[in-house]
Amino acid sequence: MSQSQPDPRLNERRDAQAKARADDHVQAASRERAEVPSALRRTFADLGQALQASHRPDEFLCAWVQAEASDYVRLNQGRLRQAGSVHRQQATLRLIQGARQSSLTITLSDDPGRSMAEQIRPALESLRAVLIDSEDDPLLDVCRDAVVSEDVGPGLSSSGRASGSVAAVLAQDAGVSAQVGLDPLIDVLSVRDAQGDLVAFIAAGRLGRGFCSSSGASQWFERHSIAVDGSIHLPVDPLTGDRRAVKFGWSGETADPDALSEAVARARLEAGLLQRPAKRLSPGDYRVLLRPRALADLLGMLDWGGYSARAHLSGQSPLARLRAGQQTFSPLLHLAEDLSAGLAPAFQTDGYARPPRTELIREGRFADWMVSPATAREFGIAGNSAPPSEVPESVVVGCGRLSDDDALARLGTGVLLSNLWYLNFSDREACRVTGMTRFACLWVEHGEPVAPIEAMRFDDSLYRVLGESGLEALGDRAHRMPNLDTWEGRATGGILAPSALVRALRFAL
Amino acid sequence: MSSARITIREVTEHQQRLVVRRGIAQPVEGTLDSGGMVTVWLRHGVGYCATPRLDATGLAEATGRARAWAERSQASGLFADIDLHALLDELAGSHAPGDAGARAASALGAGQAGAGRGLDSGRGLRHAGGPTVQSALPPRADLIGLLRVESHALKAHEDIANWVARLNITQSTQRLWFDNQLVSEEQAQFVEPNLEVTAVRRGVAQTRTLGGQYNGFCQRGGFEVLQASGLIGGGARLADEVLQLVEAPACPDGVTDLLLAPDQMMLQIHESIGHPLELDRILGDERNFAGGSFVTPDLFGRYAYGSPLLNVSFDPTVERELAGYTMDDEGERAHPVALIRHGILLRPLGSALSRARARVQGYSLEGTANARSVGWHRAPIDRMANLNLEPGEASFDELVAGIERGVYMRTNASWSIDDARNKFQFGCEWGQLIEDGRLTQVVRNPGYRGVSASFWRSLDGVGNADTVQVLGTPFCGKGEPGQVIRVGHASPACRFRGIEVFGASA
Repeated sequence: MSQSQPDPRLNERRDAQAKARADDHVQAASRERAEVPSALRRTFADLGQALQASHRPDEFLCAWVQAEASDYVRLNQGRLRQAGSVHRQQATLRLIQGARQSSLTITLSDDPGRSMAEQIRPALESLRAVLIDSEDDPLLDVCRDAVVSEDVGPGLSSSGRASGSVAAVLAQDAGVSAQVGLDPLIDVLSVRDAQGDLVAFIAAGRLGRGFCSSSGASQWFERHSIAVDGSIHLPVDPLTGDRRAVKFGWSGETADPDALSEAVARARLEAGLLQRPAKRLSPGDYRVLLRPRALADLLGMLDWGGYSARAHLSGQSPLARLRAGQQTFSPLLHLAEDLSAGLAPAFQTDGYARPPRTELIREGRFADWMVSPATAREFGIAGNSAPPSEVPESVVVGCGRLSDDDALARLGTGVLLSNLWYLNFSDREACRVTGMTRFACLWVEHGEPVAPIEAMRFDDSLYRVLGESGLEALGDRAHRMPNLDTWEGRATGGILAPSALVRALRFAL
Repeated sequence: MSSARITIREVTEHQQRLVVRRGIAQPVEGTLDSGGMVTVWLRHGVGYCATPRLDATGLAEATGRARAWAERSQASGLFADIDLHALLDELAGSHAPGDAGARAASALGAGQAGAGRGLDSGRGLRHAGGPTVQSALPPRADLIGLLRVESHALKAHEDIANWVARLNITQSTQRLWFDNQLVSEEQAQFVEPNLEVTAVRRGVAQTRTLGGQYNGFCQRGGFEVLQASGLIGGGARLADEVLQLVEAPACPDGVTDLLLAPDQMMLQIHESIGHPLELDRILGDERNFAGGSFVTPDLFGRYAYGSPLLNVSFDPTVERELAGYTMDDEGERAHPVALIRHGILLRPLGSALSRARARVQGYSLEGTANARSVGWHRAPIDRMANLNLEPGEASFDELVAGIERGVYMRTNASWSIDDARNKFQFGCEWGQLIEDGRLTQVVRNPGYRGVSASFWRSLDGVGNADTVQVLGTPFCGKGEPGQVIRVGHASPACRFRGIEVFGASA
């Protein structure tokens, strides 16, 4: 058995834990539902009913809903820079008539003076007009079954206790109590001292994803979460202009100022080392220890078409050589999409249930790809209900045997990489990636961190870095890193990944 | 309880996306997004709330939430030493009588403010002197037909593995109220055509696009944008080029001269001039995410950013350029200004609020009206809008003739830069060697790397107006929470000396 081959017993245990957690979710959700479903959930239910009431006999209507009731707070120099609330629910309405289809994404309002049927009527009329001159879609494939599911996470109170009263839940729907709930977290972050100033971002509140249809399908996923992503910045070196900072983060379902304080304190401790004179590295190969975040950043590049069947079959995948067997990663590397962690919905935008687990890389070799229903039709291959993007949302990287305690000693002399930044392919076919080091990246000698490094650019093929002669060991503990993206609203998903010890990473500049 | 001032920004966007992929017309997709951002300004605190509900009750609820945030901001925010009400008065003072009406009249064209104001910049760039004439787009079926023709032309050979023709059309309306007074109403139509083709031959895969994979050819206007984009007839050209690339050798490695086409220059300007000059980055707001800047507030007015040939302007009035407007999202009237003149850094991309914060730190900076947000659901931050490198005197042939050994690169394909916007590495779709002053061998996967602080000083040739292209991207990402916004970049071809270039891996 290779060093990091997943222990099936661990998988069973994890699955059992996930199931228990999911059961908890359902029970908690049931309790909540018996009292007051969230405003997001109520709007979703209204939409489902409106679809059933609005479709004509020869029409099939479905909708994908993306909703958030969020509070966003950003701080600079330990003070509030911008703080606000966003209530946004978007429904992508899809009208299907025979083999023709068209979609329109609209913004839903919870205005009680406007029924949902009234809100979607102009959109439906618009879609009907589009279908008149549309052609048949040979790739059309949508689930028409009346699937009903609900996955509502716990932690529906931001107070740190179970939701107590209907008033509290309603107030939280409006975002008001969330502000109050975030106050202790803001207080923890509102610190100014000479040791370096604090920059941070809080994203909190509910988010929902749903699929409903005129045939009665109603699949709903909802979470309440709070995520703090921050960094402590030392004063800029007046001589070199060098900037040094260390990252911290905390996330949970309810506010926990004590846990956040501990995370900040750990970062401050780490920042102490950054005050030493920085080491400037020359371009060349260096032995590196990738912390879980840095490994996740590297592996995140494989989301850019690495597992997508469409990308593979249209000449655009960075893992084409892996799939063809011309290249391999280390046998230590296992990577799967695993939805059992509950970070992402178990259904996709066409309404199909996602497989709980899809092995993508097994023992360093290409295992499976992600095939959306449309891609399956286009290329005549078997589908696996992947989302249209064919990007894994909830990634699990298999662990190895390198303990956190031994990692630096095993590194010996080299670079400890905490965060990477602005990655891109410099040669997609070769899976060659460039990017920068960022935050607290340290020079280590004989297992002891001795100095921060000046920011370096790397440019290397992942086949080499994570290849059989490159990847020396993987950590024995996976770290959970939720997806903190907020581009069009708070994201779902995330990655579980360990640290990685790599024999050589090539710095170019 | 302190008094509050309220601004409301209402945004409606209607987008239609037409795609023909691998010869198959994809279902028509659209988005109709509308809502409002309520901002409550206390004298020393500001709070925001975005709501899709714009009736009296919805706005009142949103105002209540925004006010709660403003009070929290006043208690522990960054504005203790800034009189925000005085700032709003200053912004209101920048408004001209009839602004709201004038903006409605300028719908769909370039902005008016500052047009013809005599900025000694923008040579070779057409400025709107009034409402821009816009030709109507053909019916949707005809547009899909046009895409289908180009899609067919892209599939010129059996080695073509992917071919896509697409067109996004967005109509946007934005209104801004100050204390219940409508001060701005602005409308625009954005047109984003693109073509993409990938060929695979003997294990080599190459891609060519019309304007880069980030829709680099995008402008405001109507059918004339489509006509100017090169989409019509572009399918055959790109197919020919991608088939040349799969046969081409890798770009050689080494230090050499570099000639960049406008569709690479736009990314170079964007990443290593635009972002580092954003004042909110310089003030540290983005250090946790998008990063800071190697530029510090004390450098303005004296720092040699580049060679004397480098002239860069913020210009919201260039005809059809993507991010033109008359007033920014905090209500400051926009006009064109020079940011870098003859290589010397003059001012940042700094909105009124950022400038006020810089003043508190002892820096009195002139800036730009560039507080912008991606939509109704986000608060404004400093963005670059239209950021242009002004043309020089050299023809394209003269730029080439001035290179003994070098590489000509077109169309950005890869981009990466450090969080201080200094160490960068870019890759392009198309490379061509320059030998003894002539374009010769086509090379694939060309890339180059450098450091912003020294790269612009190696600029030694700037193309004339004939080499200028007005480009942009709808995909500039920044901010917490994240915002992906439209920016415009016009540039001539530019020549640089002694740059590290490289090619594909073996």
